[in-house]
Amino acid sequence: MWIKYNRILLSKVLLLLVILLVGGAAALGCARTGAVPRGWSGGTIADGTLFFGSMDGKLVAVDISDGSQRWDPVTLETSASGGGFGCAPTSTAVAIYGNLAVGEGLFYVGGYDGKIYAFNSNSGALRWVYPRQDALQPIVGGPLVALGKVYIGCSDGKLYALDAATGDYQWEFPREFPTGDKGDKIWSTPAIDGDTLFIGSFDKKLYALDAADGSKRWEFETEGAIVSTPVVYNNTVYIGSFDRYFYAIDATDGSLKWKFMAENWFWAKPVISDDTIYAACLDGKVYALDAESGDKLAEIDLESPVSSSPVAVDDLIIVASEEGKVYSVDTGDNHKRELINLEVRVNAPLSASQGVVYVHTQEHEALYALNAQTGVVLWTLPLTSK
Amino acid sequence: MDIGAIWDLIILEPVINSLIWLSSALFGSFGLTIIVFTIFILVCMYPLTAKQLRATKGMQELQPKLAELQKKYGKDRQALAREQMRLYKESGLSPAGCMLPMLVQMPVWIALYQSIIRVLAVTPEGFLSLSQYLYSWPIVYSTLPLANNFLWLDLATPDMFIALLVGGSMWVQQKMTMPRTAEPKQQAQSQMMLWMMPMLFAFFCLSFPSGLALFWLTSTVIRIVMQYYMTGWGALAPAGAREPGGRDKRLKQRIAMEGGHKKEAPLDADIVEPVSTPEEELGYEESGDKRQDRGGGYPASFRPVSRQPRRSKGHRPKRR
Repeated sequence: MWIKYNRILLSKVLLLLVILLVGGAAALGCARTGAVPRGWSGGTIADGTLFFGSMDGKLVAVDISDGSQRWDPVTLETSASGGGFGCAPTSTAVAIYGNLAVGEGLFYVGGYDGKIYAFNSNSGALRWVYPRQDALQPIVGGPLVALGKVYIGCSDGKLYALDAATGDYQWEFPREFPTGDKGDKIWSTPAIDGDTLFIGSFDKKLYALDAADGSKRWEFETEGAIVSTPVVYNNTVYIGSFDRYFYAIDATDGSLKWKFMAENWFWAKPVISDDTIYAACLDGKVYALDAESGDKLAEIDLESPVSSSPVAVDDLIIVASEEGKVYSVDTGDNHKRELINLEVRVNAPLSASQGVVYVHTQEHEALYALNAQTGVVLWTLPLTSK
Repeated sequence: MDIGAIWDLIILEPVINSLIWLSSALFGSFGLTIIVFTIFILVCMYPLTAKQLRATKGMQELQPKLAELQKKYGKDRQALAREQMRLYKESGLSPAGCMLPMLVQMPVWIALYQSIIRVLAVTPEGFLSLSQYLYSWPIVYSTLPLANNFLWLDLATPDMFIALLVGGSMWVQQKMTMPRTAEPKQQAQSQMMLWMMPMLFAFFCLSFPSGLALFWLTSTVIRIVMQYYMTGWGALAPAGAREPGGRDKRLKQRIAMEGGHKKEAPLDADIVEPVSTPEEELGYEESGDKRQDRGGGYPASFRPVSRQPRRSKGHRPKRR
């Protein structure tokens, strides 16, 4: 009898073990692979207010002088629900990756739920949403506001142009894909120079488009996907790619000026100071390159991947590594100095204003205001996240 | 270096980079890559898988003998345990024999599962994580990101149809390994396992990227084929047609033929007596399992080799 009982018990234990093993492996896999979208929006500063999206889908407007909130955070939620044990999101909060953009009394945000929103900057009230019905594919890049339009890339492989005031559809690029092709994702944030838009794509190309109608002016193909945001300086487009190269491309005709090879992907947007490009790389280094020739002036090793875009503050470049160390790099001698070790993960782009750097952390989520010269924490805004 | 870093260095990184490299060789199709890589891993682990399948089959075939021992020594727990151990020893099997190969294979499957999830890199966080596992091979950097389209599937998102396929194939596999027993309680347990596991995995598939479901489906289908080859359809065969199939059938036929012209030494007659209850007899007849290779002792296929006269290749007796 006890053997029978034990056999029944054994099979139950075995079943439980398998369930725990599969569930545990699934949870472990999800946790370590980052299969659940959480977001890492950086801050955008306008008129003394910093706008950013938190990891639980809240849009926050902060008075940069003291860290107080201008209005109650607005929460972006989606009605889509994920599965319980899997890697699909279980939360209804919308992940926000791109920086918010600020325009004429409105601020704009693209959500991972495939929608583009415009809110009143002063009250946080929703002005419009695109599309009004249904949704696009997830949006990872940030919006760009210029020439009365909002430009934003989407995971469906298209760049959309909307009327900034009303959210009405203006045009999309490309208008159609070749037969049988679904198009590659666009996670890059567009940049503009005059009337030309520049945007990178997972199809390994950098596109230059007419900002008025979306017609293509030229394209430049690399060997890897492009996720980082381009920077235009002295009629040259600077952008890094997943093929480990950092490119300088003529903004007029799309011809290659020079390229520089690193050891991993370029994800962060580069920053320019005094004809020197500072390109942060996932190989844990920031490369100081001569803007004209591409010669390497310095290689600053941060010993941890850098996905957070650096910022220039006076004669300093402030950069945060993924493990949470914030450094300043003197543009005169390219020497680094550790300002502070926050000891939490940082993926969000940095922002800065009047000698203060703002860091949005992705672990123990908070917004830090740091003195760019000394690294002293001026104030902290803790943010709850699920 | 912590254990996670060691795991990443010696297991995950090689598997991830191999998957990416293979994908570039297979026209950039990650779906095809999952199928080919799963087959490759299963071929590499064939000895372990075969051992596990044979041990499982053996344990099933021991069930009637275990039931007999229970009936005989039901009240004497010590004697029952002793005789069970003896039965296991003589048959060359042990309950751990089923589990051990499975446990050894488990890290490989977990590594493959983690690698597929990482390479699929559905979210931006996933991409950032993937970047830290890449070798400096140019082919790796130019191949990423991989195309997620395969047949009707977007490998990065869940799919209802492939979830049903995974559930269905797991049901088939589970049914093939289901022990034949007349005991109602054990039947209930078997039924529970038969339905629980497929439903559980089908549910998981509705939440996971379908690339992972494709991996589960491929491995299950291959295991079904392997199982059929080694042990036949098992409980899946219709009543009256449950003949052990494949190599096992040939093995049993050989043993039966050899047993026909060479009488085997009796096996511990003091322990195992051919005490078959009417209920069990009915069970075997109904199942169609003639069990012609079994006398009153242990299943012929599990009789210890040492009890057979050792024959060299040159002195193999001719079959009639």
